[in-house]
Amino acid sequence: MVVTFCLAALAMIYLSYALPRLLPGDFVTAMYGSSQVTLSAEEEAELRAYYTQEPGFGSYLLKLGNLDWGYSYAFLRPVAELFFEALPWSLLLLGSAHILSMLIGFVTGVEAAWRRGRLVEKGMVGGMTVLEGIPEISTGVLLLLIFALHFSWFPAAGAETAYAQVSFMGRLANIGHHLVLPLATLILAYFPGNFLLTRNSMMMVIKAHYMTTATAKGLPPRRIRYAHGARNALLPLVTRFGLRFAFMITGALVVERIYAYPGLGTLLFNAIQARDLPVIQGVVLMSSLMVLAIILSLELVYRFIDPRIEDASSF
Amino acid sequence: MDKARLCFKRTWVTALVFVLCFLAMPGPPSRAQVHEIRIADSKGDWGYPNPYRHYPRGPGYVRMSWVFETLVWKNDRGYIPALAKSWAYDPDRRAFVFDLQEGVRWQDGQPFTADDVVFTVNYFKKHPYKWVPTDAVAAAEAPDPTKVIIRLSRPYAPFLAYVGGTMPIIPSHIWESVADPRKFDVPEAFVGCGPYRFVDFDKAKGTYLYEAFEGYYQGPPKAKRLIYVKAGKPLIALSTGAADLANIQPEMAGVLEKKGMVTLKNARGWNKKLMINHRIEPFTHKAFRKALAYAINQQEIIDKAHQGFAAPASFGLLSPDHEYYNPNTPNYPYDPAKARQILESLGYTKDPSGFYAKGGMPLQVELLASNITVAGEAMPDRDGEVIKRQLEAVDIQVDLVNLEQTTTDVRIRNWNFQLAVSGHGGLLGDAMVMERMIEPGSTSGSVNSARYDANEELLELLKAQIQEMDPEKRKSMVYRCQEIYADELPAISLYYPDSMAAYNPGKGIRWYYTKGDIALGIPIAQNKMSLIQD
Repeated sequence: MVVTFCLAALAMIYLSYALPRLLPGDFVTAMYGSSQVTLSAEEEAELRAYYTQEPGFGSYLLKLGNLDWGYSYAFLRPVAELFFEALPWSLLLLGSAHILSMLIGFVTGVEAAWRRGRLVEKGMVGGMTVLEGIPEISTGVLLLLIFALHFSWFPAAGAETAYAQVSFMGRLANIGHHLVLPLATLILAYFPGNFLLTRNSMMMVIKAHYMTTATAKGLPPRRIRYAHGARNALLPLVTRFGLRFAFMITGALVVERIYAYPGLGTLLFNAIQARDLPVIQGVVLMSSLMVLAIILSLELVYRFIDPRIEDASSF
Repeated sequence: MDKARLCFKRTWVTALVFVLCFLAMPGPPSRAQVHEIRIADSKGDWGYPNPYRHYPRGPGYVRMSWVFETLVWKNDRGYIPALAKSWAYDPDRRAFVFDLQEGVRWQDGQPFTADDVVFTVNYFKKHPYKWVPTDAVAAAEAPDPTKVIIRLSRPYAPFLAYVGGTMPIIPSHIWESVADPRKFDVPEAFVGCGPYRFVDFDKAKGTYLYEAFEGYYQGPPKAKRLIYVKAGKPLIALSTGAADLANIQPEMAGVLEKKGMVTLKNARGWNKKLMINHRIEPFTHKAFRKALAYAINQQEIIDKAHQGFAAPASFGLLSPDHEYYNPNTPNYPYDPAKARQILESLGYTKDPSGFYAKGGMPLQVELLASNITVAGEAMPDRDGEVIKRQLEAVDIQVDLVNLEQTTTDVRIRNWNFQLAVSGHGGLLGDAMVMERMIEPGSTSGSVNSARYDANEELLELLKAQIQEMDPEKRKSMVYRCQEIYADELPAISLYYPDSMAAYNPGKGIRWYYTKGDIALGIPIAQNKMSLIQD
């Protein structure tokens, strides 16, 4: 398994190196093409020579080995610095959105399945199916208009009030206040899918013999639902959580754009617009390696959640 | 004794009244009335605010202009003194002579002198700052600490706009040892003598923080802190008080005015235009390009794609609001019958499908369109769709291809296109913009230049007007340039979109659009003089 993952990582490193180079245009055209500044042929050639780095794949690999991701053309700062400035905001927004939507989806899904056939369950399934079909952009704009523009309850843009002169606790509260709308948008986008997945999965589990046995043993209903039923219904949800989390770099681009929220999606989007090749390569590489790392972690988590996988692999 | 006590008492009272009066007297003018001003824009990131690190777009220059000063500047009435309190052109010496302000200090406390200006000119000649063309500058000298003479290698009419009013003066004591200015990013790289000190740029959030430079030579600025914030929706940012100033879409103006905001509309200085690849058939024919002009209904594009928030453009490139605009520039009113007549005179006939064809080949053109950034804000674009329908209405088949802007730029740049919707500003600045947007040799990097070399008279006039220091003679040359350009039609100007901003008057700051736009033509209502002058 380790060899397979290493080979996949090498392939991804190559793709992150090669693919961005296929974009039409370069940094000089993107920056100066439509600007107020007009260049002479000599000036353009000088800029192109300054900004065009053509390291072979070998030297690119060597630099990566030395943890050198290169310098951004636009900022003339290390790519790693830009990446790690944006990463915490992506983690905060997408991490909390995934965790909350998984928890809410899991609990409501289990409870709905337990109440199968009742009006509340039918209503929830219908509502969640509709919600699942609404794109983030619609929810985001709607929440923005209602809660930011009309009621002015929450800020419309940014991760915090820029350069607010407040205490540490005040800053935390400010960040939380700014997080509400983008977070709610993402939860509304992710949670219905989690709900439907858990509910369907739980519906299968409820019919299992061990559930009847647990009921016959006279165990409390909550223990039957969660310790015996829900645990076995968790596997598909964990898979979904892992895959969603793996795409968190670009997953929130729409929400980041609506709420002008900082994050890796915006960093990548701006880098592509500016043809800032080292930044595109860095972000694409890290996102693909994260996908790999999460898939690897999922393999381990599966074994913990469902010991049958471990047993099956020993045959 | 009583008399003495009375006298003593009177003296005390008089002294007290005198002290109170003295305290009540207004002190030296202090403008730092508001704590902070917040300016919103949708992109946020425009690079670090120094000459070599800001992005080569208007918002990048403006962010730098808070920190660095130029010799002259502009407000809503025209040129005003900046580091130079007066200036004059000396034709005998072919030089501009600047008398500098006295008592100016850099933000690190060092005195500003004429040597800094000389150093800046020499440094920009050695390490070009792309906004300031220094090829016409022969040398700079400082005969005394408050006088600078900048000699020209040839007469150069746009000097004030492109050099005097755009060149940020950098401190020699900081930059003299800097070999690669692009990599110079220590805090000293952001020391200027402008009204604000640069404090922070958050690249992830796209925010900037500046603090008032209390020692600014024109007096302390009106706001202690100046903050740029990133906001996707300026309407909400302004309505909720998250921003005090923002560029807005024209349709937002009414709503914002009802909320007590002041809205501003700029003169017509930015044009959307149809780029034509005049190097390939059938666009090499002037008559064919004229047929296109007659087939295009400018007002319909404005009404359908921009809800009426724009004005039809002059076919002569310069804006009707420009002092050198020629009112007799040839015009092409919408006339589809005339367009068809020209096409038929060129040998085109209708094929069975109803479209024109010639020699068995259908008349089919490809039209590139993309979203374009205007004054730092992405502008949604349906122009391509409307133009396609208009050309098809005169029986020209059109393949509309929507591309991302850089991809379109690359194709235009490499002449790998037929027609493309593009646009640029600078039409209110110096008439040199005509040379930059037409002449084929000097605009290697620009995708907005028509790069047209088929008319010798036009090329000669474009060069000659730049070297003509007599304003009246230059004006007549620019008049003629517009006539020839509109007759040749190497590109077709379509319309001037309404460029608007809104601000909160409650902060006591009056924002405005600059006459001739900021520096060499930046159409943004963020002139630093709004925070300096009343």
